[in-house]
Amino acid sequence: MTFKLRKLSKARTTSSKSNEDEGAKTEKNEPLSDSLAQNVEAVKQKTGNSADISIREITLNDQAHTKAAVVFVEGIVDQQAIDDFLIHSLINDDDLKKNPADNILETIAEKVVALGELTRVHNHSELFQALFNGETVVLIEGFSEGVSTDTKGGESRSVDEPPTEISLRGPREGFTESIRTNTSLVRRRIKNEKLWVKSITLGKVTNTDVEIMYIDGLAESDIVQEVENRLNRINTDSILESGYIEELIEDQTATTFPTIAHSERPDVVTGNLLEGKIAIFIDGTPFVLMVPAVFVQFFQSVDDYYSRFDIATSIRLLRIIIFITSLFAPAVYVAATTFHQEMIPTQLLIVLAAQREAAPLPAVVEAILMEIIFEVLREAGVRMPKAVGQTISIVGALVIGQAAVQAGIVSPAMVIVVAVTAIASFATPSYNIAIAARLIRFVNMIAAATFGFYGIILTFIVLLIHLCSLRSFGVPYMAPLAPFDASGAGDTIIRMPWWKVKKRPALTVDGNVMRQGDNQKPSPPTDRTMK
Amino acid sequence: MKRVTTWISGLLLLFLAGCWSSQELPDLALISAVGMDATGDGQYAATFQVINPGNVAGEGTLSRGGSESPPVTTYSSTGPTMTEVNRRVSEKVSRRPYYAHTNLLVVGEQLAREEGLEKVFDAFERDPEFRTTTRVIIAEGTTAGEFVTALTSLDKIPANKVIKTLETTESFWGEHKDTNMREVLKHVGQSGHEPLVSIFTLHGDEEKGKKIDNIQTTSPEARLEATGMAVMQDGKMIDRISNEASRGALWVLDDIQKTAVSLDWKGQKDALVFQIVRNKTDVSVRIQDNLPVFDIQVSTEGEVGEAHVPINVSNPFLSGTVEKKSGEEIKKIIEQAVAKAQELQTDYLGFGELLHRKDPKLWRKLEKTWNEDHFPTVEVNVNADAYIRRSGLRNEPTFSEDVE
Repeated sequence: MTFKLRKLSKARTTSSKSNEDEGAKTEKNEPLSDSLAQNVEAVKQKTGNSADISIREITLNDQAHTKAAVVFVEGIVDQQAIDDFLIHSLINDDDLKKNPADNILETIAEKVVALGELTRVHNHSELFQALFNGETVVLIEGFSEGVSTDTKGGESRSVDEPPTEISLRGPREGFTESIRTNTSLVRRRIKNEKLWVKSITLGKVTNTDVEIMYIDGLAESDIVQEVENRLNRINTDSILESGYIEELIEDQTATTFPTIAHSERPDVVTGNLLEGKIAIFIDGTPFVLMVPAVFVQFFQSVDDYYSRFDIATSIRLLRIIIFITSLFAPAVYVAATTFHQEMIPTQLLIVLAAQREAAPLPAVVEAILMEIIFEVLREAGVRMPKAVGQTISIVGALVIGQAAVQAGIVSPAMVIVVAVTAIASFATPSYNIAIAARLIRFVNMIAAATFGFYGIILTFIVLLIHLCSLRSFGVPYMAPLAPFDASGAGDTIIRMPWWKVKKRPALTVDGNVMRQGDNQKPSPPTDRTMK
Repeated sequence: MKRVTTWISGLLLLFLAGCWSSQELPDLALISAVGMDATGDGQYAATFQVINPGNVAGEGTLSRGGSESPPVTTYSSTGPTMTEVNRRVSEKVSRRPYYAHTNLLVVGEQLAREEGLEKVFDAFERDPEFRTTTRVIIAEGTTAGEFVTALTSLDKIPANKVIKTLETTESFWGEHKDTNMREVLKHVGQSGHEPLVSIFTLHGDEEKGKKIDNIQTTSPEARLEATGMAVMQDGKMIDRISNEASRGALWVLDDIQKTAVSLDWKGQKDALVFQIVRNKTDVSVRIQDNLPVFDIQVSTEGEVGEAHVPINVSNPFLSGTVEKKSGEEIKKIIEQAVAKAQELQTDYLGFGELLHRKDPKLWRKLEKTWNEDHFPTVEVNVNADAYIRRSGLRNEPTFSEDVE
């Protein structure tokens, strides 16, 4: 790997720049003093003597008795590495013992520390930045700078199967909360120097590491620039999850539709990077953002790409039907039974009428009531501990399925409609588009109850106009369908076989559109005996 | 400004909604059939068959059993016009009459003969709710009102029973035509192709037919049955045809899908049955001496349905004879039917329409008196070709020893 990660010092420059206008400079950028005692005291005082700040004082050389302090934050460092390669070296190194005090810092930096990355810290701001990034800082008596070594470590979750994106066939790896693990998962998949990572620190209080990953030459450079600009514009105290960033950088805020995709799966992110998209990694969350996002992307499941194209295509069509069902099913039921009874076949109408005969509530009230009850059950079920969750589902099933019908409060057909809608909304592969549909469903129901099918068509048109007006980092949301782009259309509501997909989607890819060579369709020899 | 205009024009769309008032299902009286009669004093009487949904479907969901109360209820009212009758019935029904699912229109024989169908149909045709695909039948021997009050078993809703009977018998036996209002309206008063309307009769005790007991026995005392076809002229019923006459007429009209003809064999009557599974009738017209001559060409395929004589149908010589005999039998049926139509002086076979297409000038000359003067004397040639495709599951009859 010839490509090198950007040094942390760069990130520091960015962050200190963003902090400048806050007047924090004067306080934080206080330079380190010559006196070790003063520096140690400053660390103690500024961190409020926090229990997890560990300061180990040692004597370096025999003659001059130069004092030094090893400062690190317990829990986020690799304690073993500090003990073995830093403290042990500092105490036992022969060179160091004989060293005079005046160039001891150079010796430590160049000869003694047996750890990877090493930087110098000159002021308090840099010192704390380094400390809270899991680095260990060595402060030495008589020097107004310290040596910082990379000793990141501590407990983190292991790479596990992502619980929100299960695939039947495909890797079982999922991102973790550690940003470095996450970027490494992608880098392992794209062994190419063109995979670039840019680092930035966001959040005035949390100082969260955020990294932008893209493939140079594939990602549109304008979009990369735009992503950087939007991230740099963020001036907030904390970034705790990708959702914070998503909301702060999206194109259109007045929409229920997600214009930024996210995933827990490294293979999904890899696939998106190869289409010229840009991934945003945030430390502390297993969710990685991907921009620009288009509408059809939310219907693409990772399994589509790993199974046969004909099967993938039919399943994808099914998903789109499901999505439309989850949007319109209760609305169509309400409209048909209260406005357009002539559209229901006679026998079906009689059955529906028989059920509605004793129903005390108007169809639309019944529909909205049941939908809300379902949403309540879902919400309760999601947050409940597993043991209680089962109780909820049983009670829910009894209340909705049995009791409400037997008591004659709601009609059985309504229960079927709600159940179908509920299942449909869970069958959409992407949770954030499913929840958008859920919200719009209520609008549709009200429109259906007011104007019948006419109302549904009106909301549908409004929805369509809205979707077409959305942009994700300048890319039209409905692309490659509207505007139509032949190179990207092979992977929309259908999935063309890989040997047919010669080009990358032109809208997100920077010029370099050819994906594969000619004649990729397998053509076995005509002689079937395979001698 | 542009934004405001967009919003305003968007909001204006809302006023385009055609259906303002929503109506809940329990507020609708689903009318399955309408029976129309003439009262004799120039007024109309209409009987509406309203479905009781809870008694048709929904056993199991509702605590009341469905079989105890009847699946339909009927309401009648009278008035000088159809609209008034339709509106007046609201005095008796608690719900708004809803015609979108009215699938059957029953016209009393008296009304059909005296007033004709045109007047009745006008009101229904104008109504946006009422469908023109509604089936039309004529009730014979009883009033349409009595007819729609009779309960039926198997199909709980009497209107459905009638419709399904019509559909089944049209495709299975071919003596009755499943006509809807649009078809009748298309041909009403068309001298070159008068409509045929199926006739139903209520057999048995009318009063008992109204009781739920009627459908609680294996042999209902009152039953609805298709009994023939009404011949219409200028929208009025003038006569009826049945049996071979109506089957032959449908054969000419190419409405036969499946039927069967019995054949004699070596002096034994009805010894073989030829079952028709596929039929195509082509009627063509040619002008001879300034007069039309009609050629009816029937091509039919079928199988042997029954054999009471020892005969091996797989023998090509014998099957050829059977085919020839079937053709002759079909020809006979058709010729009788044509003769009947000519006797009735009504062209319900569509000959005039055919001539109109072939030679409009000649048709215009003959049109005025077509039914009276020309149609009855027109020359008709019938040719029927039958083919045996199969002999059923066996070749020779079981009982026979000396097979030909």
